[in-house]
Amino acid sequence: MKKQWKASLATMRLCLKEQSYFGFFNQLAQYLLRAGALAALIMIWRSLFLQGVDLEGMTLNQLYVYTILSTVLAPMLNIWTPISGWLHDGALLGLYQRPAGVFSQLAAHTIGGWGMRLLCLSLPVTVIALVCGVDMRPSGPWFFLSLPLTVAQGFAVDFLFACLLIRLRNLEWCVHCLREALTALFTGSLIPFAALPWGLGDWLQLSPLGTLAGAPLALYTGLGDPAVLLPAQLLWNLILWPLAIYGFAASRERMVSYGG
Amino acid sequence: MAANPFRQTVSRNVRDLFRLWALYARMDLNWLLQDLSSVIIVVISETLQNLSSMAGVLLLAVRFGGVGGLSADEVLFMLGFYELASGIGWVLFGNYNVIHISRRIGRGQVDHMLIQPRPLWMQLATEGFMPVSGSFGMLIGAALTGVAVSRLHLALTPVWFLLLGYYLLIHMALQLSQSLLYGSMAFWRPVACEEISSMIIDLNNQLGKFPLFGLPTWLTTLLHTVLPIGLLAYLPAVALLRELGKPVTIALPLIVACGFVTAAIICFQKGLRHYEEYSCNRYKEMGHRN
Repeated sequence: MKKQWKASLATMRLCLKEQSYFGFFNQLAQYLLRAGALAALIMIWRSLFLQGVDLEGMTLNQLYVYTILSTVLAPMLNIWTPISGWLHDGALLGLYQRPAGVFSQLAAHTIGGWGMRLLCLSLPVTVIALVCGVDMRPSGPWFFLSLPLTVAQGFAVDFLFACLLIRLRNLEWCVHCLREALTALFTGSLIPFAALPWGLGDWLQLSPLGTLAGAPLALYTGLGDPAVLLPAQLLWNLILWPLAIYGFAASRERMVSYGG
Repeated sequence: MAANPFRQTVSRNVRDLFRLWALYARMDLNWLLQDLSSVIIVVISETLQNLSSMAGVLLLAVRFGGVGGLSADEVLFMLGFYELASGIGWVLFGNYNVIHISRRIGRGQVDHMLIQPRPLWMQLATEGFMPVSGSFGMLIGAALTGVAVSRLHLALTPVWFLLLGYYLLIHMALQLSQSLLYGSMAFWRPVACEEISSMIIDLNNQLGKFPLFGLPTWLTTLLHTVLPIGLLAYLPAVALLRELGKPVTIALPLIVACGFVTAAIICFQKGLRHYEEYSCNRYKEMGHRN
């Protein structure tokens, strides 16, 4: 067990270093893109607020915090392991040749990859928000229970998408589009469910994707009810993990890679 | 009387262009006919992605009766215009990473193009053509624009259609020239900049769909010149809906687009000269890319 942990930590360290292999400019461009999108959304909330729109009890600070945290915690709220790319180019085969589980190796790779982003984007954005007077304090302790549940559920969802990719004979672009489409709206990472029309948010917040980003962000900002969201997250973890493990085992023999 | 060699070259090039477009259209159709299930999956996933990318701003507009100085129907028009313009761009340049040119440069695949018996510009102008499998974004955009136009009861005059075509061209010129301009960096930094064209297109796709009314003046200026996100859909929508024919809404996009196209051509040519000297070998003997 101790050996496994040491191996996982070493993998995380390697992945953290690996982030710098593509050069400073590559990193900078990615972070500027995220920061630009964040700034645009904040401007929209601000302009709505200045128009005097009735936000039904939501304060501007809550909207700011929700939007900022969705960028700051993005890698944890929407888990993308490298499995899709590795299935496509064949690198996944390498994981089977190592004395560790495939899931744990993928998890270590993913978590290791978060470091650079947290340091170069999340930290500066949080500091800038604090300096600009945004009150970043959580509304209660439930967020800290919700976030680990989100991360666990996110891995299960990612593995299920990998199963879909295998079943679709490696149509990586399609699965990527499908996933982008679903996660952009249904996870609540872009717009708080409370701001959606026609009561859509009431349903989406309990869905398997809606509990990913929507639940921890709503709990942090005080826009969600912990008595509803936390049991929903727990339930989806209990349903999705066995599905992911079974689905991955059943799909293993169907893996096909292009290489190169 | 001897034939004019310039005219001969032009007519040969035009003929070749149409022949190549027909060839790539046939190849695209063949894919549809030979692997229908894959095409259906591609179409569904791309359609969903297109719709969901607009849904956020549209839902906000519906929920709050408008956003960023535009009513919900005007936002629908703006989003429809964006989809239509980027959809046409995707049909013309979406295939084989032509619009994501930094991938081909960074992966050392320009070699494949340089050995073809066709000029590079002609390959870039034709290879990306996919009128069958790539047209669904364009169709969605056209439908949304049509719905918005009918809900807004716009007076559709020949001038309006002329300006619509003009702004569609400006949108495509800006997207393609930015991809080429920033993508040219992959000639010098192939690994680091392999995905830079995708990044700039993603940035445009994310931010280009937001109405920009109410931003500080310095930011509005920035987003209409150096980082011309506002020229992709917001300014065209405002011009076509409210300020038809206002000189600044016609001149500014043209000036900025010309600037980006010129810069893209210069940088691409410089990069190409560097590539011809140093090349870029990313492939291992076993066929994997390092």
